[in-house]
Amino acid sequence: MKNKKHLSRLFVALALSGATSFSLAADTIKIAFAGPATGPLTQYGDMQFNGSKMAVEQINKAGGVDGKQLEGIVYDDACDPKQAVAVANKVVNNEIKFVIGHFCSSATQPAADVYNDEGILMITPSSTNPAITERGYKLVFRTIGLDSDQGPTAANFIADHVKPKNVAIIHDKQQYGEGLATAVKQTLEKRGVKVGMFTAINPGDKDFSSLIAQLKKENPDIVYFGGYHPELGLLLRQSRERGLNVQFMGPEGTGNTALSAIAGAASEGLYVTLPPPYDQDPRNKTLADAFKAANRDPSGPFVFTAYAAVQALAQAIGKVGEDPEEVAEYLHQNSFDTPIGKLAFDAKGDPKDFKFVVYTWHQDGSKTEIK
Amino acid sequence: MSEIYHFFQQLINGLTVGSTYALIAIGYTMVYGIIGMINFAHGDVYMVGSYVAFIAIVGLSMLGLDALPILMAGALIASIVVTSAYGYSIERIAYRPLRNSNRLIPLISAIGMSIFLQNYVMLAQGSGSKAIPNPIPGEFVIGDSAMNGVIVSYIQIVIFSVTFLAMLGLTLFISRSRLGRACRACAEDLKMANLLGIDTNAIISLTFVIGAALAAVAAVLIGMQYGVITPNIGFLAGIKAFTAAVLGGIGSIPGAMLGGLLLGIAEAFGADLFGDQYKDVVAFSLLILVLLFRPSGILGRPEVEKV
Repeated sequence: MKNKKHLSRLFVALALSGATSFSLAADTIKIAFAGPATGPLTQYGDMQFNGSKMAVEQINKAGGVDGKQLEGIVYDDACDPKQAVAVANKVVNNEIKFVIGHFCSSATQPAADVYNDEGILMITPSSTNPAITERGYKLVFRTIGLDSDQGPTAANFIADHVKPKNVAIIHDKQQYGEGLATAVKQTLEKRGVKVGMFTAINPGDKDFSSLIAQLKKENPDIVYFGGYHPELGLLLRQSRERGLNVQFMGPEGTGNTALSAIAGAASEGLYVTLPPPYDQDPRNKTLADAFKAANRDPSGPFVFTAYAAVQALAQAIGKVGEDPEEVAEYLHQNSFDTPIGKLAFDAKGDPKDFKFVVYTWHQDGSKTEIK
Repeated sequence: MSEIYHFFQQLINGLTVGSTYALIAIGYTMVYGIIGMINFAHGDVYMVGSYVAFIAIVGLSMLGLDALPILMAGALIASIVVTSAYGYSIERIAYRPLRNSNRLIPLISAIGMSIFLQNYVMLAQGSGSKAIPNPIPGEFVIGDSAMNGVIVSYIQIVIFSVTFLAMLGLTLFISRSRLGRACRACAEDLKMANLLGIDTNAIISLTFVIGAALAAVAAVLIGMQYGVITPNIGFLAGIKAFTAAVLGGIGSIPGAMLGGLLLGIAEAFGADLFGDQYKDVVAFSLLILVLLFRPSGILGRPEVEKV
């Protein structure tokens, strides 16, 4: 008898706890924000998180989606492919259906496999490697342009503005950097520009003295670097110290104030391809001010793409409910008014008509557009 | 750039990198020589050294003491003192209690220490990169111009001379001083040295302190040369220095110096011949080759089985 009483109490407790967790789940729509919150690329993760958090806060303030509040949860993948898979599995276990992220292409790629298998919808606001959307996954989207656009933009700029006799291309052997470097090389060669040197460095390396000696021997008019800012910063600084006066150019993964902190005066005059300056667009003035009022920097290249990703996702959930398959269907078929312009996805999940812009970087971390 | 300048430039590049490997390698080789243990946390001790130097430089600049000699000396002294304290405490906490256990156990403890130090610095200082300014920018140019000539930067000269002085000091200390003699006795036979009245625990602590102090010197020099530190720099630096120590013959101090320099030069020329991404491949191939023909390293003594 006594035992039975205990059992029934246990059942009541179980039922209650089940009920509470159910009601919590019904109140909010959880969205995972995946990206680097630690590691050398944290700054980019912050841009992404700032944009998505801002979008979630504003949507919640305006009443949420279908009367439900959005809840953003940050997951740290440190831009490491192994950790990204662990994060993806954690997202699965926590029964979250939507992901904004990841940041690094090499982390997004393996995580996307998990999400697609488990029926989770993923929108990356920052991974630019073309391969991510080339595997026929229905639930994978992105709100940023591809390296196959960014590379040619950079290459055409080099061919038209720099008019070099000889170009050197260096990459960091990672999916993002190598993909870009290859795209730049192919376009340059198509345009008849000589690529005299195409080589790689090890990510995380500190000493580029040997590479710089080789660059001096090759004597190119411009060096294109496919990779991220920690390596390019060191390369710029050491080049300056060693009297190698050559123009450098990098992709949006290098356009970061930390680059100037590392390279100092040597970062002055670097060419960088970046998404357009959404925060300086007059249409986005109120939003940019809202960012500043919340003590968040609106100027990074991934802030507004992350904001737009959340916005499009929320709009789609509001229309068709929380089933990822139906949300994906809706995202594919409709276009969305976002701060990054009219956002529509093609059959692969890539944004239609995404443009990159070439800037000159300054040593104080600011930049000016080259028209 | 003409071939001969190019050759000498790569040689100097290799020697600079090699000097710093050598400084870190001493810590591995001395500890191995005395207690036969590989201190895998040594790379992270180096990392701690670079953060202490960073904090010292920022602190001194904030106090307005930003004159060049004060900055360099301040960073060096602070880093040596604090990092030595780390070296001592690590031995006291993580290794001494395990002194008489199976050889593998302190090794695991060392790996744990390494993970602890990395995460501790990540928590305390953030995981992003920190920039250290180069206090003595500028360089000598040998040849026609910067583009066609050999460039030796001031900081490289500082690295060579400080490394040389540190090595000289260490060699004199080991071969001439009383404590150095005790160190050699411990390396020869720890138990016998103890029986003859040498405080072996103190000597082992001393080895850790010397290793940590030299790692701190390397940390300050490398930090100023490259300008960027992150909490995970210890791993690669540790692996390279360990390779240098094994290459030269682990347990032998001149071996660590030679191994470091050789490894640096191999990397510079390997990068030149096969591309920068293959420099580690070249360095480790060299290690395998040397070990195939001389299993105890270049200057190492063949292991004598102790009874």
